[in-house]
Amino acid sequence: MKIRGTVAAALASAGILLAGWQTGTQVGGISTVASSTTATGTTGSTGTGSSGTGSSGSGTTGTGTSGSSSTSGTSGTSGSTGSSSSSGSSSSSGSTGTSASGTYKGTAVQTRFGPVQVQITVAKGKITDVTALQLTNTDGKSIQISNRAAPLLRSKVLAAQSANVQTVSGATITSDAYLTSLQAAIDAAHL
Amino acid sequence: MQPTSDPRLATTGNPTLKARTFECMGTVIGLTLPVGSPAEGQQKFDELAAAAAVVERLFRDLDETFSLYRADSEASRLARGELTLRGASAQMRERYAEAHEWRLRTEGAFTPERPDGVLDLSGIIKGHAIREAGTSLLALGRHDWCLNAGGDVLVSGSPRPGSAAPWKAGIVDPADRLTLITGYALGGHSRHSAIATSGSAERGEHIWRLGSGAEFVQVTVAAADIVTADVLATAIVSGGTPMLDRAADNWDVAVLAIRADGSMLATPAFQPA
Repeated sequence: MKIRGTVAAALASAGILLAGWQTGTQVGGISTVASSTTATGTTGSTGTGSSGTGSSGSGTTGTGTSGSSSTSGTSGTSGSTGSSSSSGSSSSSGSTGTSASGTYKGTAVQTRFGPVQVQITVAKGKITDVTALQLTNTDGKSIQISNRAAPLLRSKVLAAQSANVQTVSGATITSDAYLTSLQAAIDAAHL
Repeated sequence: MQPTSDPRLATTGNPTLKARTFECMGTVIGLTLPVGSPAEGQQKFDELAAAAAVVERLFRDLDETFSLYRADSEASRLARGELTLRGASAQMRERYAEAHEWRLRTEGAFTPERPDGVLDLSGIIKGHAIREAGTSLLALGRHDWCLNAGGDVLVSGSPRPGSAAPWKAGIVDPADRLTLITGYALGGHSRHSAIATSGSAERGEHIWRLGSGAEFVQVTVAAADIVTADVLATAIVSGGTPMLDRAADNWDVAVLAIRADGSMLATPAFQPA
């Protein structure tokens, strides 16, 4: 119970810690303890999970911070990452020492904007770092709503029927070309 | 073609779509309005004629000033060097300023100058004419209409007045003009009221490409306003994927770009749900 509380509290304080946290100050060796993540499942981690979810919601506010310029749109995304880092907290309960230490990876969560995954580093029951392992943009620039174009397969497009449209957009046609165009047929039907 | 224009349904009081077309700027411009039930249809039809006349007048006036195909136009006199921008009309200088603003915003992908240095505002005049026509229609009290100028479209309201039903625009297949690749909803609930398509398929000579060959044979852009849609479509044909990404990042637009091999790039709004 004590550990559970500690981890939950640690996760809850993550947001506060992160606000002023400077990356790169933690001891590099800590990440080697990552093997302890495998010690999951030994405890009834469901309780931890639920308590961890709420607290990690605040913890993942840090996702935006570590990804440099964060936008106001981040909150939605970090909500979903919150649940991912809670799985990290459930695994932390596997380490039975009085002070939990190690790095814990959240599961990658698919969001509207792409996969998001965070990792926390815990030293003696305190989160010392939160890193975004996956952000929606490979350059880690921001988690903003992406309007970027992606390949579109023709077979995936529900082909529009000319009977269901009121107008047609195409490259500018000459007056002559108009005569044999779909638009001319539609206009003729409305004359 | 469209269900509400079916005469068998018109008797139920559904509005019927009626269209008027005219030729200008080397292409055909069409205005489509929903008109009331057949009983009062005659009167409504006259309203369509009046609205179409206003639109036509506006297009013809702009064409007289800006056409490079008319030797006596102000644009032709500028192109021949008989007139300088300093001495040009206010509307000429306004359009020039607007076009130059777009050149800056698109980092040169859209430009009002031909490679030979001649000022050519045709890339912005049609969009400007559509925009002005739309403003006039609204001023006339017409709230439901669809204006199509050679494949560039601006709509207002709905084909079924009072409903939230959008106007549906089909996007033509560059490989087969009688086929539609997909459709896009304009007006109604859609945040976009305008859609424009540029390409090398029909009148590609008015697009000056940056660098080597064109990546896209056809680019469609939907936006809140027709000039943005028109200019960005032209800019993306000219500037390829980098310009497409820039447009998607910086403007609230939907883009469908088609390569010569038929492969396509689309922003989320054009992706199937």
